[in-house]
Amino acid sequence: MKEKTYKLSVFRFDPLFDTKQSFKSFNVPRSEAKTVLDALLYIRDHFDGTLAFRASCNQGRCGSCAMHINGEYGLACETPLHPGKTTIRPLAQLPIIKDLMVDMERFWEKYESIKPYLVRHSGEARQSFTNRKEMDSMIDCILCGACFSACMMTGLNPEFHGPAAYVTLNRFLRDERDAIHDQRMELVTGENGVFRCHSMYNCNDACPKNVKPSENILEIKKNIG
Amino acid sequence: MKKYDLIIVGGGMTGLRATIEAVKQDLRVAVISKVHPLRSHSVVASGGLNAVLAKKGEELEADTIEKHYQDTMKCGYNASDPEALQTLVGRAPGKIKELEKWGCLFSREKDNNIALRIMGASSFPRTIYSSDKTGHAIMNTLYGQCVRLRQNKPDLLRFYDEWFVQKLLVFNNIVSGVIALEIATGKMEIFSAKAVIWATGGSGRIFGNTSNPLTNSGWGLAVPLYAGASLRDMEFIQFHPTQLSGSQIVISEAARGEGAILLNRKGERFLESYSDSKEKKGLSARDVVSRNIQREILAGRGVDAKYVHLDLRSLGSKKIKKQLPGVRELCKTYAGIDPVRQKIPVTPGQHYTIGGISTNENTQTDIEGFFAAGECACAGVHGTNRMGGNSLMETLVFGEIAAQSAGSYIRQKHNRLPNKTYFENAFTEEKNKLQTLLDNEGMVKPAEIRNKMNKVMDEFVGIYRDGMGLVEAGQVIKELKNTYQNNMSIIGNEIRANFGLIDAIELKGSLDIADIIIQCALKRKESIGVHFRNDFPSAKGRPRYSLVKVRKNKMIIRHMAVRTRKKPITAIFSDLRSQNK
Repeated sequence: MKEKTYKLSVFRFDPLFDTKQSFKSFNVPRSEAKTVLDALLYIRDHFDGTLAFRASCNQGRCGSCAMHINGEYGLACETPLHPGKTTIRPLAQLPIIKDLMVDMERFWEKYESIKPYLVRHSGEARQSFTNRKEMDSMIDCILCGACFSACMMTGLNPEFHGPAAYVTLNRFLRDERDAIHDQRMELVTGENGVFRCHSMYNCNDACPKNVKPSENILEIKKNIG
Repeated sequence: MKKYDLIIVGGGMTGLRATIEAVKQDLRVAVISKVHPLRSHSVVASGGLNAVLAKKGEELEADTIEKHYQDTMKCGYNASDPEALQTLVGRAPGKIKELEKWGCLFSREKDNNIALRIMGASSFPRTIYSSDKTGHAIMNTLYGQCVRLRQNKPDLLRFYDEWFVQKLLVFNNIVSGVIALEIATGKMEIFSAKAVIWATGGSGRIFGNTSNPLTNSGWGLAVPLYAGASLRDMEFIQFHPTQLSGSQIVISEAARGEGAILLNRKGERFLESYSDSKEKKGLSARDVVSRNIQREILAGRGVDAKYVHLDLRSLGSKKIKKQLPGVRELCKTYAGIDPVRQKIPVTPGQHYTIGGISTNENTQTDIEGFFAAGECACAGVHGTNRMGGNSLMETLVFGEIAAQSAGSYIRQKHNRLPNKTYFENAFTEEKNKLQTLLDNEGMVKPAEIRNKMNKVMDEFVGIYRDGMGLVEAGQVIKELKNTYQNNMSIIGNEIRANFGLIDAIELKGSLDIADIIIQCALKRKESIGVHFRNDFPSAKGRPRYSLVKVRKNKMIIRHMAVRTRKKPITAIFSDLRSQNK
C-alpha cells in the first residue's frame, strides 16, 4: 500500500539565476513529519539538498524558522502539518537570498539602532519586584522577524524601526534603572519613528510568541503624549 | 585574507561573554558563528545558573561557596578537577553581579532580591533564574552589551554571522587562524589571528534522541581534533531525565525544583523505591534520575511501555504560569497537553556533552594560542556527571577567562604567524575538499548515514552500555565512515546557500566524534557518573579522566588520575571569600 503523504508547495527563487519566482511541490511521508519544519528537513535530506531555509533549536525558542505558512506567519517548527496542501513562502519585506532564506540585515540593524542594552544611572540599584513584573509581557520576543515582515509600514518606509525593535525599546523605556530614557525617546519621535505605526495590528497577528507589539507601540506613543 | 588579533568561534553564551572581555582587553576581535548569535542554543537554556549569593544583612552562613564546591564534587563522583571547579564556584557570584549591572531580567522576590530555586543534587537553593527562560534573558543581555561595544568601538569588533568554520589553522602547534565559508554567498575566506577561542557548544546531534539543536552536530569538536587538539572525557554523555516523550524538548529540571513529581504507570512515586534516589527523589542527581526512569520503563512499569509521567498539577495554575511558563507553552504546542491539568509524558534523552576539548583551568588547550570554553571544552569542572545550573555558569566564568588568557598570550608571546604561502596552501586544500564532496558520486545520501549513526548511538551508547553493544556500535560507525568516504553523494552542486552541503561536511565530524565516544566508552571498564556499563557495574579506585588524540589516523586513548587539591579546602575558601568581599 502506498504511504499517505503531506503535500507541500514550497517557494523557490534564486535571485542569481531565476527570472521569476516559482513553487515546487513535494510529498512527504506522514510518518516522517509532524511539523512544517520536519517536512522541510525531510525534503532537504531526501529530495533536494539545495532547498535553502534556516532552522536550529526545533522547539520554538531560537527564532530561526519564521516563515509564511498557508497565509499566516509562524515558526515552521511549531506549525503542525495537516492533510491538504501546505503552502510555504519566505518572510516578506526582506530581500531573498535563496528560497525561504531572506536577508535579515535590515531587521537586525533596526533592532540594534534602538540601543538594546541598559545604560545605568551611577550606582548599582536593584530592579524592584514590581518593575520586573511589568516586563513579563515584553520579554518573550525571540526576534524571529515575523512581525517586521507582516508590518505594512516596514514595507513602505525602510527607515521605520518595526514592531520587534519597539517591543525591546519599550522594555528599556519601562526599566527604572535606565539612564538614557530621553535619548531613546528622541530616537523614535522623528518622522520615521513610532507615529508611522497606524495600529493595524498585523504584528500582533503575526507574532508566534503572543508578545503583542501593537500594545507596546501604543504605550510608547502615549508616553510621548 | 582578513587579519584579527583574536577570533572567537561561536556566538552562544560563552562566545559572547568572551567577546565582551576581549574588547575590554582592546583586542581586535572577529566573532564567527554558524547562526546569528541570538539563534544559538544558549537561548533555549531554561532552569538557571548556580551561584552563592550573600543576601543583605546575612553573612555567608546558610549556603556557602564551599557547599557549592562540595555539592558539585559529589554530584560528579569526586572526579572534578579541583582547580577548575574552584575557579567556577569562586567566580560565580561575580558573574551574577555583572549580569545585574548589565540589566539582565532575573526573576525577583517581593523584597527585590534575586529569586533562587533549587536544582537536583544541590543542598541549597542557589539557582538564579528568569522564570524558565533564563538562557534567553542572559543571551539578550550579553548580545546587547556586544552591540553597545560595537557601536562605541566599531574598529575593534566585527560579527561574522552565518559563517561556517571549515578548518582551524595550526602550524608547528601554534594557532594561526581559521578558514571559513560565508553560507549566504558561498565565499571562502582566510582569517588570520594571533589567538583563537573556541566556543561551539554541544555535540548532541550525534544521537537521535537528543534535546540539542540541529546545529550541534559534533563538527565543533572535530575541527580542533583534526588540528591536533586532545579531547577529554568523551565517554561522559549526560542524559536529561525529563525530555518530552516523542519530541526533542527538555522539560526543565526547574519543574522538579518547583515541586513536580515523577510517577510510573501505577501512579507510584517510583524514585522512592530505589536506594540512590530514595532520599532526594526528583532532586537527585541527573544520572541517578535518568537511570531509574529507564529501569522503571525496562521493568514494565512505564506508561505505554515508553515513558513515565512528570506531574506538575500539585503546583497549581498560578505557580506554573509564573515560574514555568515555558514548560507550559512547550507542552501545549508539542504535546497538546496543559500541565496545569494533565501529567506530562517524559523519557530521558541526550542533553549535554560533558567531555570536550581538553583545557586547563585557564581554558588553555594543548595548542598554543588556542583556547576553549563552555560545553565544547572540558577542564573537568563537572567530573563524571554535570549538576543542573552549573553549565550556564561555566560559560560565563570560562568565557571571560578565555579572553583574559588569550589577551595575555597575545601581549606576551611574539607574533609568529606563518607566511602567506602557508595560508594559501591551506585555503586551496579546503577548497579542493569542498569540490570533491560536491563531485562525489555514490549511492548513499548523507541523511541515510546520519540516521543510521543516530540509531546506533541511541541503542548502544545510551544510559546503559555494555562491551558487546559498544563493539557493535563501533563496527557500524566504521562502516558508515567507509560509506561516507566511498559511496556518498550529496544533492545539488552549488556552494552558495547550500545547507545540504554544510550538513554533509559536518557529518564527517559527527562520525569521527561518535567513534571517539564509543572507543572511550569501551575503554572505561567501570561505571561512574553518567557512564554506566552493565558488564562493569561499579567504579574502580581513584577517579581517572580520559584523554584522546588522533595522530596519523590512529586514535590514542589514555587514562590519567584526576588532580588532587594542592591546598587544604579551608585555605582555598578563605582566599575565595576575601576575593568576593
